[in-house]
Amino acid sequence: MAKQGGWAGKVLRVDLSTGRISTEDTVEKYKDYLGGTGIGYKVIWDEVSPGTKPFDPANKLIFGVGPLAGTGAPCNGRTAITTLWPTCWPNPLVASGHMGGHFAAELKYAGYDAIIIEGKADRPVWLSIIDGKVEIKDARPLWGQGIRRTTLEVNQQLGPEASVAAIGQAGENLVPMSVVMNSYSHSAGGIGAIMGSKNLKAIGVRGTGSVYIAGNKEEWEKVIKLHLSLLGANNQHVVPNKPQPWAEYYSAGTRWVAARGNKWGAADPSIDTGACDPHNLNRIAYRTNNAAYFLGDRAWKYTVRGNGCASCPIRCHTMLKVPAVASKYGIPEVGQNTCAGLNFGRNFFKSFPDGPRGETAIEACMVGMHLADDLGIWCNYGQMQRDFVKIYYDGIIKNKVSEAEFKSYSWDKYEKGDPTFLFELLPRIANKEGELATALGLGTGYMLERWGIPEEDWRKDYNLVYWKMGHPKHHSNEDAGQCGVIINTIYNRDVQCHSHSNFIRNGLPIDVQKRLAAEIWGSADAVDAAGAYTPMNVYKAKMAKWSLLRKELHDCLSLCNWMGPWVASPLKERGYRGDDSIESLLYSIATGDKKSREELDKVAERIHLLHRALTIRDMGTKEMRSQHDTIPDWVFVDKSNKPPFTKGTIHMDRGDIEKGMDMFYKELGWDEATGAPLAETYQKLGLGYMIADLGKKGLLP
Amino acid sequence: MGEGKGEGGKESPVEKQNQQDAAGLAVTDFIRRRSEAGLLVTAEEIYGEFLRMGILTEKENQPAELEAFLKKTVKQNEELKEVLDGKGLSHYYSVQSMAETYARILIQREGDPLLLMAEVIRENSQRYPRPVPLNIFEDAPFELTPEQILFCLKKMADEKEYQDIEQTTTSIGTVFLYSRQYLEPDHAAMLAEWLDVGQSNNP
Repeated sequence: MAKQGGWAGKVLRVDLSTGRISTEDTVEKYKDYLGGTGIGYKVIWDEVSPGTKPFDPANKLIFGVGPLAGTGAPCNGRTAITTLWPTCWPNPLVASGHMGGHFAAELKYAGYDAIIIEGKADRPVWLSIIDGKVEIKDARPLWGQGIRRTTLEVNQQLGPEASVAAIGQAGENLVPMSVVMNSYSHSAGGIGAIMGSKNLKAIGVRGTGSVYIAGNKEEWEKVIKLHLSLLGANNQHVVPNKPQPWAEYYSAGTRWVAARGNKWGAADPSIDTGACDPHNLNRIAYRTNNAAYFLGDRAWKYTVRGNGCASCPIRCHTMLKVPAVASKYGIPEVGQNTCAGLNFGRNFFKSFPDGPRGETAIEACMVGMHLADDLGIWCNYGQMQRDFVKIYYDGIIKNKVSEAEFKSYSWDKYEKGDPTFLFELLPRIANKEGELATALGLGTGYMLERWGIPEEDWRKDYNLVYWKMGHPKHHSNEDAGQCGVIINTIYNRDVQCHSHSNFIRNGLPIDVQKRLAAEIWGSADAVDAAGAYTPMNVYKAKMAKWSLLRKELHDCLSLCNWMGPWVASPLKERGYRGDDSIESLLYSIATGDKKSREELDKVAERIHLLHRALTIRDMGTKEMRSQHDTIPDWVFVDKSNKPPFTKGTIHMDRGDIEKGMDMFYKELGWDEATGAPLAETYQKLGLGYMIADLGKKGLLP
Repeated sequence: MGEGKGEGGKESPVEKQNQQDAAGLAVTDFIRRRSEAGLLVTAEEIYGEFLRMGILTEKENQPAELEAFLKKTVKQNEELKEVLDGKGLSHYYSVQSMAETYARILIQREGDPLLLMAEVIRENSQRYPRPVPLNIFEDAPFELTPEQILFCLKKMADEKEYQDIEQTTTSIGTVFLYSRQYLEPDHAAMLAEWLDVGQSNNP
């Protein structure tokens, strides 16, 4: 039999209760589920009974990577971590967190495609993986340390090349709003406390192997070159934010911010990012500066460089050096993160004395990163911060905590936008000190339950952008109208899908987007101009399906859904087309398992269906439409009472969305009345073995 | 163009063609490099560069000959484009390094900034569609001074042919401009807020 490429070949299974360490053959057992979340969902289905709670030893934690991790494929640095989710309210269900960095590649080089963590150690431990040598080591000296110190200590034992995924005090203290982090700034939210509940402080992995590519070397290099040529800036924005000599189009909102005169000012010597013609593949890393994107032009002078994941040229984590914070706050001058992580500290405050893009906002980001990324606190895509603003200014905190506790916070500092306030709040969240910190650390759903606040209050509030089950929206109608709304109904935490928003925000004019949409989803009507939405149609349902399946596929292959799919490109000579087959081309050559785009999408659909089945099984109901796939009221509200489908509003129409859900379910082969997959759908997608069990439990329509 | 001599002091047709080809390549290369740097090129600049490089020596009628050669080269070479400014002067760029959009902005910048701003605002409002942040006009390639921008804004408010140009300000104080001919005020306001605030608040 030809040697299998892509996969490392082994899944590592570690039982922390018994200390037993074993391996399984990846391809033999999990090939039909690819990797990443696919392996995760399969393990949860097979091995974790309904009713298991997140912190039960019976819960499992699956660190899964895909066959493309550790190869030269661009944007392949992702690890998907699947488990029963601690912030999923009112009942925990399966979900996954994702982290970038170097962990995925190192795990593959060590010879593993996944690690299944089972049971619970009787004392703090950390997992040491050096190629084939796997040991459970004593973590008592590490327990109580932050992520930084832990990482340092583990690297001292394994060597500087090792990749360390560690939890901080928040995870140790079973704060559900906690992360695991690797490579300094790459975190997976929601996982920290699961590791903490198993007394697992860290996983350190050192791999000296490599990933075998089954296919022809020239073909592989050709596809890599093609993929690189199609890349835009972060989030696959394919148009610069200002006119550039080479660019036919430009758009103020894109993340392609490189330009002559825009310099990495804190680099020594400073580096001019330049015009970055898209044909120059050596300058991809200069295109994006997420600090400048979020914090304004002021951030350029503090930018050292971009950083990021293994094999990714985008470098979306901006490294900042802000000398003032050392003396002002006693924290390191250097910090690094992206998006919600970068803005962690800033987002707690309603305002700053010098505005949202002033020096203070930058300092708040630095303080936030310093604290949160060491304590290991998760923000739930900014929901914690939005909740905090609301519960403070609505007087809820004052009502719910004791007077003594309320007075122990410097609220005057908070109201003034003083970043030192974060030193009072964040450590308390990590250490569960006090009612406020404890409630915030539970996540939104459990906080509301604890304080007797109806979830309805959150579902009506336009500013909170809360969706359901304890989590916020993640690129919904503000990005892609009905397509975005549909997408946000499906998962058990915020959906983390960017397939649709990457396309909508790519910066191309609407006529070009519509031309591409017609090619990809069958009609120009699949997309609308921003704020000029039109009624639902079947092509929007197809786009929603495609978006979700590609997200699932990326999470299984170890490709980054914050970048892909790559259906648009910055290349005028291609008509700004990308290539919708990139994933299947890479997969086929790497593994030797030739699959067309359609065939690989079918595998993704199988894995996505497995997630749906798990949700149905563990909710104990097939009534997904009414009980799971719900949509908050604020989606249907416009502050100026503009009717839906008028220009300048993004709010949706209930009847139109119901139609949309009908169309979406039909696209997926799910029953329109219940939203539950039909038996023939399970059969068609290779999950026929589930039918009997689901049928017995009355979970089939 | 070219001064090589063949046998008996006369250029052979082949030598002449080779010299023409070499000159054509040199022209193309120069224009391409200048386009990469975000600059249009005039015949006069090419002449000066070729004198500096020793490709040409100063001679009567040389500039006129060069101009004629340029026009011929542009006609034959798809990579090179010619644009005329308001005074009828030719400027050249390479499509390999410069988009027509950028070239047009550079040419319009030589003329009336009011026309430049209006066209950019209207084109963006129609094509994408979206409003344009006011501060874009201070940066390259527009590089208008604050005084020029203020003057243009006032003119746009006063003059009949610019009555379609309107302003909207986002929640953090950024001014955007749009054409009411293509964007309704509510839509423009929503788009400005989305571009300036909404997208980064929804990472």
